[in-house]
Amino acid sequence: MASFAAACRMSARLATRKLQQDAASRGFRTSAAALAAQNFTMPALSPTMTEGNIAAWRVKEGEKFSAGDVLLEIETDKATMDVEAQEDGILMKVMQGDGSKGVQVGTRIAVIAEEGDDISSLEIPADEKAQSTQAAEAPKTQTPATPEPDSAPPSSTPPKVASKPGAKTSKQTYPLYPSVAQLVKENGLDESAVSGITPTGPGGRLLKGDVLAFLGKINTKTPSEISARFNKASHLDLSNIKVAKAPEPKKPAKEAAPVPPPAPVKSVVSLPVSLSAVIEAQRKIQKSLGVFLPLSTFISRASEVANDELPLPAGYQPTADELFNQVLGLDKVAGPKVSRGAYIPQIAALPPASAFPTSAAPAKKLDILDILAAPSRPKQAAKKTVVLPGASTGPNVFSLQVPKAEERRALVFLERVKLVLESEPGRLVL
Amino acid sequence: MAPQARTRVIIGGGVAGYVAAIKAGQEGMKVTCIEKRGTLGGTCLNVGCIPSKSLLNNSHLYHQVLHDTKHRGIEVGDVKLNLKQLMKAKEQSVSGLTKGVEFLLKKNGVEYLKGTGSFQDEHTVKVQLNDGGETSVTGKNILIATGSEVTPFPGLEIDEKTVISSTGAIALEKVPKKMVVIGGGIIGLEMASVWSRLGSEVTVVEFLDQIGGPGMDTEIAKNIQKILKKQGINFKTGTKVVSGDKTDGSVKLNLDSAKGGKAESIDADVVLVAIGRRPYTGGLGLENIGMELDERGRVIIDSEYRTKIPHIRCIGDVTFGPMLAHKAEEEAVAVVEYIKKGYGHVNYGVIPAVMYTFPEVAWVGQSEQDLKKAGINYRVGTFPFSANSRAKTNLDTDGMVKMLADPETDRLLGVHIIGPNAGEMIAEGTLALEYGASCEDIARTCHAHPTLAEAFKEAAMATYSKAIHF
Ligand SMILES: Cc1cc2nc3c(=O)[nH]c(=O)nc-3n(C[C@H](O)[C@H](O)[C@H](O)COP(=O)(O)OP(=O)(O)OC[C@H]3O[C@@H](n4cnc5c(N)ncnc54)[C@H](O)[C@@H]3O)c2cc1C
Repeated sequence: MASFAAACRMSARLATRKLQQDAASRGFRTSAAALAAQNFTMPALSPTMTEGNIAAWRVKEGEKFSAGDVLLEIETDKATMDVEAQEDGILMKVMQGDGSKGVQVGTRIAVIAEEGDDISSLEIPADEKAQSTQAAEAPKTQTPATPEPDSAPPSSTPPKVASKPGAKTSKQTYPLYPSVAQLVKENGLDESAVSGITPTGPGGRLLKGDVLAFLGKINTKTPSEISARFNKASHLDLSNIKVAKAPEPKKPAKEAAPVPPPAPVKSVVSLPVSLSAVIEAQRKIQKSLGVFLPLSTFISRASEVANDELPLPAGYQPTADELFNQVLGLDKVAGPKVSRGAYIPQIAALPPASAFPTSAAPAKKLDILDILAAPSRPKQAAKKTVVLPGASTGPNVFSLQVPKAEERRALVFLERVKLVLESEPGRLVL
Repeated sequence: MAPQARTRVIIGGGVAGYVAAIKAGQEGMKVTCIEKRGTLGGTCLNVGCIPSKSLLNNSHLYHQVLHDTKHRGIEVGDVKLNLKQLMKAKEQSVSGLTKGVEFLLKKNGVEYLKGTGSFQDEHTVKVQLNDGGETSVTGKNILIATGSEVTPFPGLEIDEKTVISSTGAIALEKVPKKMVVIGGGIIGLEMASVWSRLGSEVTVVEFLDQIGGPGMDTEIAKNIQKILKKQGINFKTGTKVVSGDKTDGSVKLNLDSAKGGKAESIDADVVLVAIGRRPYTGGLGLENIGMELDERGRVIIDSEYRTKIPHIRCIGDVTFGPMLAHKAEEEAVAVVEYIKKGYGHVNYGVIPAVMYTFPEVAWVGQSEQDLKKAGINYRVGTFPFSANSRAKTNLDTDGMVKMLADPETDRLLGVHIIGPNAGEMIAEGTLALEYGASCEDIARTCHAHPTLAEAFKEAAMATYSKAIHF
C-alpha cells in the first residue's frame, strides 16, 4: 500500500488541508491492510467546503477505473468539479447515488477495491465516519478546483512522489511569489494555513489572488475564474473551423455547388439582382452630366470587373507552364490559383420564387480583404453588349449556363456582379 | 528507385521546419528536411524578420547620425548613404544565419534535400530536386511546414520593382522619392520606417481606423501613430485603395474613405502591398491525399497538430494561430515532443508581438479593447518613459509602459510597451504572464538603476498601487 500513501501525499498538494491529510493517510493504512476494500468518502474540494451534492457518478458499480479517470462530479455552492482517481481500482459499491444532496465532507459515498481484487468475495468495510469524521479520503483523488492550466493529455498520469513519513504534503516547494510572501507575513499565516490555500496558478502555484480569496478579501471564485480564462486562452482556438471545398488557397464561395461530377452536365446558376441602385445612378449621371448611359453599359462593365480572377473550375488541370512555375516556386509571385472568366449573364425579370433554390444565392460574408480587394477597373472599355429584356427596377434574375464543374466559378462571378451593381454602380462608369 | 524510408519527413525548411528537424534529430529520429528555396530559414531568415531588422537597425543609425547628433554635442561632417553597402550588410547577416542553420542540421544528423516536396500518397513525398532530377522519401511521420506567402492585391500585379511586396521592399536598388504602403500592419510600418528614414516620402494607407493590426492596443496604436507622424510618415487611416494604374515607372492609386465618401488619388514611384500573408500550400500535392484546408487556406489540425491524416502533422504559418516566427518555433519543439513524449507545451495566450519601429512597440497578453469586448473588469497602470531616468539620459523619452491587471486579484492580464528596446523588455512581461504573476510581484522584484526596465516596474506599481516617480 505504499503507493497509496504516496498518492495521498501527492494529491494533497492540490486538494486538501494538511490536517485532513494526516488523518486520512493514517486511516487508510490501517484499513487498507486489514480489508483490501476501501471506504471512499466525500472529499473537501476547497478549504471552506463542508458539504456537496453528487451530480453524477461517471464510473458505474463494478467498473474498473484507471488513475486520472473522472470518478464523479461534485457540485458545491461554487462550482461543479470533477474528482479524478489517483490510483487504478474498481468501484465496488456506490453508497450515495447520483443527485444526493448536502453530503457532508467525510461521509462515505462509495466503496472501492484494488485492481485485480475479486469484488464478489470482498467484504464491505464498516463506515468509518463514526470513528473519524475527518477521515476524508480525498487524498485518494486529485481534485483541482478548476481545470489545471497546463493539464497533460489523458495519457500522462501525475507523477508519484516518494513518501516520507510526516512529510508536509501541501507545502509549496518553490519560493513564494513576493506578493504572496508579503500577504502571508502581513496576515500572520502559518505554514499549515498556507498549505490549506487552494492554488490556481500555473502548475499549482500559489498566487496573490489565492491568498486574498483565502483571507476573504475578494470574491472566492475570482482566482479560479481567471485561471479558467487563462487556460482557455492558452489553447489554439480550433472551434468553428470552416472546411474549404477544395484544397486551394482561395476564398471559396461557401455552400456553393455540390461536388461536381466529371460528366460535362450543363447547369444553370442564377442570382436575383436589384437594378434600383443602377437606375438611380443612371438618373444622377444624366442630371449632372447630361449623358444617358444605357443599363447595358453598367451591366457589361460589372461583368468586366467580375470576370477578373475567378476561382478555377473544379478539376482544373494546370498547364505545363504553370506546373513549371510551381516547380521553380514562381507561382508565389504569379499569384493565386485564379483565372479570368468570360461570362456574360442572361437577364430576366424575376420569375416565381419557386424557381430559386435558396442555396444558389448564399449571403456572402465580406471580410476586410474582400472589401480592400474589390477590383474595380473602370478604365477598361466595355465591348460586349447584353440583351436586356425590359429590365425592371425590382429584382431581376441574372443567370449563366455553365458546365457543372464551373458552378462555383459562375456563382462567384454572379455574386460580384450583384455586389457592384447593388452597392456602387456609379463607380463603374465614372 | 525505391523511396528512402525515414522516421520523419519535414516539408519546408523555414523556422517551423528547421527547428522541428533539429529537435527531432536531437531526439534520435532519422529526419529528412525538404526545402525548395535553396537556403534554409524560410521567410524569416531570407526575406522576413532578419533582413528587415538589419535594414531597420542601420537605417535608424543613419537617420540618427543625420538628425539627432548636434544637440547631443556631436558634430558630424558629410553624412552619405551607401545603399549598396547597407544591402550588403543585410545580406551578410542573412547568409551567416542561413549557413548557420545548415550547419546545425548537419550537426544533428538531419538530411537536407534541396527541392520541392509534394505528396504522392499519404506516406510518400516526391521531391523535385533543385539541381534537376527527382527522388522520393517515405516517412512514418510527415510534417507540413510550408509557411506563408504575400497576399496579393487584386488588380495590382506585384512586379517587385514599382509594385512590391515585403520581399521587394528589403531589396530596392534606390530610395524611391514617393512610396505608398498599402496596409498599416507591422510589416508595412517597419518598411515605411526604413524607407522614410532613408529619405523617401512615405504614405501609409490603412483600411481600419487604427494602425498596427488588430492585436495592438488601441491607445498604444494611437500613440505610435503620433510618434511616427512626427518622424515624417503620412497616414491615411480608414481609407481603402480602390484600384491602381501602373504607367511606366509610377503608380497612381485611387483611394476612397472606408466609410464611403470622398474619393482621391495618390501617386507613387513605388507601392508596397502589405495587406497580410496567407498560408502557402501550392504544389504540395494536398489533393493527392485529400487533405483539408479551411476557408482561408489553412491546413486543418487538432490540438496536437495532427491533420485529418494522423501521421501527417502541420505547424507554423501554414496553419492556425498568429503568423510569427517564435510561435512557429515553439510549435516545432512541441510537435516533436508530442510524437516522442506524448505531450508538448505551447501557451497561445502568452505569445509576444514586437514591431521594430523606433521606438519599438511590443505587447503580450490581452489588450484593453480585448478585455472590454469580453466584458472583463480590469485595472490600468501606465508609466511614461519621460519620467524614467535612463530614457532621460538617452534623450529618448517617447513612449510608455502600460499594464492591465485583474482589479481583484491583481493578476497580470496584458502588457503593452512603446519605447526604445520594448522588444527586449516584453520578455519580462511574458515571463510574468507565464507564471501567473501579479503586478505586485513585478513591483517587488528589484530592477537595476538607472535602466529602462525601471519603467516596467513603475508601471506595475502604478497598476496595483502608485508609481513612485510619476
Ligand atoms: C518582412 C517580414 C518581416 C517579418 N518579421 C517578423 C518578425 O520580426 N518577427 C516574427 O516573429 N515574425 C516575422 N515575420 C513572420 C515570419 O517570417 C514567419 O512567421 C515565419 O517565417 C514562419 O515560419 P514557417 O516556417 O512557418 O514558414 P516559412 O518561413 O515561410 O517557411 C516555409 C518554407 O517552406 C518552403 N516550402 C514551401 N513549400 C515547399 C515545398 N512544397 N517543398 C519544399 N519546400 C517548401 C518555403 O520555401 C519556405 O522556405 C516576418 C515576415 C515578413 C514577410
